[in-house]
Amino acid sequence: METNSFDAIVVGTGISGGWAAKELTEKGLKTLVLDRGRMIKHGEYPTALKDPWELPYANRITQETRTRKPVQSRTGYPTPANTHWFVDDLDHPYTEINKFDWLRGYHVGGRSLMWARQSYRLSPLDFESNAKEGVAIPWPVSYDEIAPWYDKVETFAGISGSKENLPQLPDGIFLPPHDLNCVEQEFKLRLDQKMGRKLIIGRCANLTAPLTHDESPQRGTCQARNLCIRGCPYGGYFSSVSATLPSAERTGNMTLLANQIVHELIYDHEKGRATGVRTLDAQTGKATEYFSKIVFLCASALGSAYILLNSTSSRFPDGFGNDSGELGHNIMDHNKPGGSSAQVEGHLDEAYTGRRPNGFYIPRYRNVGKDKRAYLRGFGYQGRAQRTNFARYNDSTLMGDELKKAIREAGPWSIGMTAFGEILPYHENHMKIDHSRKDKHGLPVIAFDAIVRENEIEMQKDMRDDAAEMMEAVGYKNVTVRSDNFNVGNSIHEMGTARMGADPKKSVLNKYNQVHACKNVFVTDGSFMVSSGCQNPSLTYMAFTARAANHAVEELKKGNL
Amino acid sequence: MIESEVMRRREVLRRIALLTGGAVAAPAVLACLQACAPKEGAPAAAAAWTPKFFKGTQAEVVTAIADAILPKTDTAGALDANVPAFIDAMLADVYAADAQARFNQGFEEFGGKAFLERDQAGRSAYVKESLEKALAAEHAGKPFILTTRELTLLGFYTSKVGISENMEYVAVPTAFHGCVPISSLPKPVYWE
Repeated sequence: METNSFDAIVVGTGISGGWAAKELTEKGLKTLVLDRGRMIKHGEYPTALKDPWELPYANRITQETRTRKPVQSRTGYPTPANTHWFVDDLDHPYTEINKFDWLRGYHVGGRSLMWARQSYRLSPLDFESNAKEGVAIPWPVSYDEIAPWYDKVETFAGISGSKENLPQLPDGIFLPPHDLNCVEQEFKLRLDQKMGRKLIIGRCANLTAPLTHDESPQRGTCQARNLCIRGCPYGGYFSSVSATLPSAERTGNMTLLANQIVHELIYDHEKGRATGVRTLDAQTGKATEYFSKIVFLCASALGSAYILLNSTSSRFPDGFGNDSGELGHNIMDHNKPGGSSAQVEGHLDEAYTGRRPNGFYIPRYRNVGKDKRAYLRGFGYQGRAQRTNFARYNDSTLMGDELKKAIREAGPWSIGMTAFGEILPYHENHMKIDHSRKDKHGLPVIAFDAIVRENEIEMQKDMRDDAAEMMEAVGYKNVTVRSDNFNVGNSIHEMGTARMGADPKKSVLNKYNQVHACKNVFVTDGSFMVSSGCQNPSLTYMAFTARAANHAVEELKKGNL
Repeated sequence: MIESEVMRRREVLRRIALLTGGAVAAPAVLACLQACAPKEGAPAAAAAWTPKFFKGTQAEVVTAIADAILPKTDTAGALDANVPAFIDAMLADVYAADAQARFNQGFEEFGGKAFLERDQAGRSAYVKESLEKALAAEHAGKPFILTTRELTLLGFYTSKVGISENMEYVAVPTAFHGCVPISSLPKPVYWE
């Protein structure tokens, strides 16, 4: 038992787990970091340097992948270049009461390796809306309280972006912004002139310039390859593997174990606190118990809620810390019902060089300021304009040398964008443990029951109509509206399963991400979210994790944990 | 290696040799029979493989169509990039059953026999005509000739020879510049 005892245990190594590991070890805590998947070290990215011709099947998803990974394939991600980062759905099943997309990567670094790197702050508007509108429960944290933590994580991670002074999308501490390309610059200008709407360059966790600190010597600047999802040997984008875990490692305080599936928290009834976790080895099935003073659950919103629901005792018959009955409920994601695309005339003498791992962003404008809609909240758009490639001659009769010559010319410009909208927290949208099914480790699986409801469906109309309207307003041709059947989970922004709140009767966590009923357990992944905003959420998980880790260490010092 | 596979491979080789005028270096063909991995830069006709999807004359016909769409000229053509083997692999391993069935049905309607009887110019005209017809009509799914064309372009312009002879692929651009005159680019660019 001695060797299995630590000051802290961190469960999961994705965006949140990496931050918890870094902060706790840097503050001197002997920390055990567990991941259920295989070990990945920075640089171990098998496809990162492959040229297009080195990938089989022109990097298209194979039928074999679709058979083994039917859910992961719903996103189009598990191509030959990326498929090793996505779980085998047959080995890792779950139950869909309503169709639910659960995208996962079981390896050290988790989805921080594959994330789209878009990094936006939530705004005062986002933190205040629940209270003002009487939706769910109020956030227990204000923008001003979290702002310094955004500063901290942005500085360490390296977020590129432009200062815009938008109240609904606060500026941060930015590395230089990527360029908008020529067509995007014109789109920005015309959108502003014709509709008074803003278009900005995306804010992303790619190093457009060297970091402003010397804590990550293993990271270099972004090389404009736009192959980030494969893992970047240059360290050009932020991931746990490239950034936070190396920092934790250097403290000498981290023990990182792969292949350890945490399935249960250990609860000491007499002390009224968690004393550790129970794991199964993913390869051997060996059961182990690890012990610590504090536990950070960072296993993803759905993964952490599963561990809590699966940790039952006479004190917590309905799941660990679930006195409120809200554990596993209020699942949110981002509403993603489509967007628009169009052909752009002209600009044939203009181009760009390099491959930008980023696009443009149209920040939320609905229900902002004087705008009032029949639904609550809003949405933003992410998109890009580009020169078209050889595929524009797929449906053509051009042949031979004529065809080769035509393809050597840069194709006309096209533009496309996708809407991401807020989903309200509904108690009815929930997950539970399905004891009738077991995975290959003998653990019961999750059953999901979450759908978009009236507010989201009402918003979807605007999301599609506005997308087309904006492109038509600026004069683009052949504007096409894309209408997708959105399943909750498909934006891969799942959150809200153990929300924080001031009232323990209505929430699972307090404002420092501590389980109300057991203060030495912290949950700092997307579980804590009280509302979803429409911004990509990872930066917010980083900020809350850093803040929670700081609080945990202070409380430990005071003897409160 | 089982005997029927060898026979099938020989048959494909023989037919491709016929198709390209028989000017195939025998040792290259035999070497390929032994090792059977298509080599980059090998003579077009030596690109033998064991079809996974194609049956009967499909390999022969698709090879001739790809060659008609992107022939070897002063630069490499589809056969230099082993496009027929690529198309076969895509149909076998990437395309779903319904798309495979549509391809097979469309192949029957294409008239491969009449097509193969033509000389090079005649084949080119046949493909063009068939493309025109396919583009003029409404279809429930992608017609055979358009699928074959799409895969020919995809296979060629993701191959090393197809990319390197036609455009500049910069593996490590190092920086992104959003708005530059196209005249400042030294060569045609590989667009994502």
